[in-house]
Amino acid sequence: MNGAEHDFGSFVAARATSLLRVAYLACGDQTEAEDLLQTALERTYRNWHRVRHDSPEPYVRRVIINAAISRARRRAILNIIPMHSPPETSAREKDSDLVHVLMNALRALPPRQRAVIVLRYWEDLTETQTAEVLGCAVGTVKSQASKALAKLRTALGRDIMEGACDNAQA
Amino acid sequence: MPRLEDEIRRLMEGETARLHAAPDLLDRVMRLRRARRARVKTAMVTASVLASVAVVAAPVVYLATAAQRATPSTQVTTSATLEPAIDDTPPVRTEPKNLGDLGDGLAFGHVKVGYLPEGLRWSTRSIDHGDMYSTSYNYKGDAEGFYQVQILMYEEEAVREVTERIQRYREEKDGEDVMIGDRSGYLVVQHVGEDGMAGSPTLFLKMGDRQWAEITFSPVYAKEFSGAEAVNTELRKIAKGLTSTM
Repeated sequence: MNGAEHDFGSFVAARATSLLRVAYLACGDQTEAEDLLQTALERTYRNWHRVRHDSPEPYVRRVIINAAISRARRRAILNIIPMHSPPETSAREKDSDLVHVLMNALRALPPRQRAVIVLRYWEDLTETQTAEVLGCAVGTVKSQASKALAKLRTALGRDIMEGACDNAQA
Repeated sequence: MPRLEDEIRRLMEGETARLHAAPDLLDRVMRLRRARRARVKTAMVTASVLASVAVVAAPVVYLATAAQRATPSTQVTTSATLEPAIDDTPPVRTEPKNLGDLGDGLAFGHVKVGYLPEGLRWSTRSIDHGDMYSTSYNYKGDAEGFYQVQILMYEEEAVREVTERIQRYREEKDGEDVMIGDRSGYLVVQHVGEDGMAGSPTLFLKMGDRQWAEITFSPVYAKEFSGAEAVNTELRKIAKGLTSTM
């Protein structure tokens, strides 16, 4: 194994799980997330000579997010993204139900809005960093985040938030 | 009550805690890399051989290509033996949203389609995200069938996204810059979910500072043509026929 392969292997060992979670949140499907990660890492390795000197993680994250958006847009037209109906309100009492509702609501968001939510609230990127990843203006990030949060708020519902509060305090 | 953003973070954490990268991920990435490198090498060798054959026997190649192109439906047998790519999975028919009734599908949003390969018609499926919208085309009488061609339009803010994507391809030396009449474009084979197949041949076309088009063939449809050059010729024809109405 040469130096580049060794460095790349160390990077994968250290960061792959974290990146897999980003991919999963960006696309909403575990198998798809694994494929996204594998494809993004292959592309990263192809350019390893260039990205290894900087921090490679933002590069991989950017590839994952943009590939997820691209795939989702192409699939949306074919209507094959699973869009499960949210469970009835009475069934939303446990935290696991809340997670289910959130994931369904995330899947139902337009791809770019979903990406903004993942980058802002999972990766904790600033609005400027999020705009850089997505290749759009900061104003677009703000407006997309606002629209997405409004939809998630509606999906989760006020009663759900109260239930979550109870769970958090328990 | 916690803020919605905090609650989203907490729920995401709970949902993803169970996920861990596969132990053999690195091996799989390396295998993918080797397979891709082999594919590129094969394509280069094939292109080189075809180029030399074309010089020696240009009329024969021309006739063969013309015959194949005249009857595209007779060659669909290739796709029947393949596992359908994800992008070729038969979709459920959906009604277009904001793009409205597209009629024959040759005018949608701010674009008119002047040319489609023989036998294709509007699939009746479209999607509208405002500054990005798209529709697709498939064979006549194949209402529940695969899509063959998809056209995605990017306008205003969304243009940056597509130009950055092209820039990444350019930096990776993947694809090539082309001119379609006096308009610039970029030809590349994209891999967007049809792993294990040859990818989706795509032509990006700059229709103006505030508008780009992405024309893409499904991997299975691309196989119906005699080769990459024939596919690219059709992509160029579609691109040439696109007119902006912005």
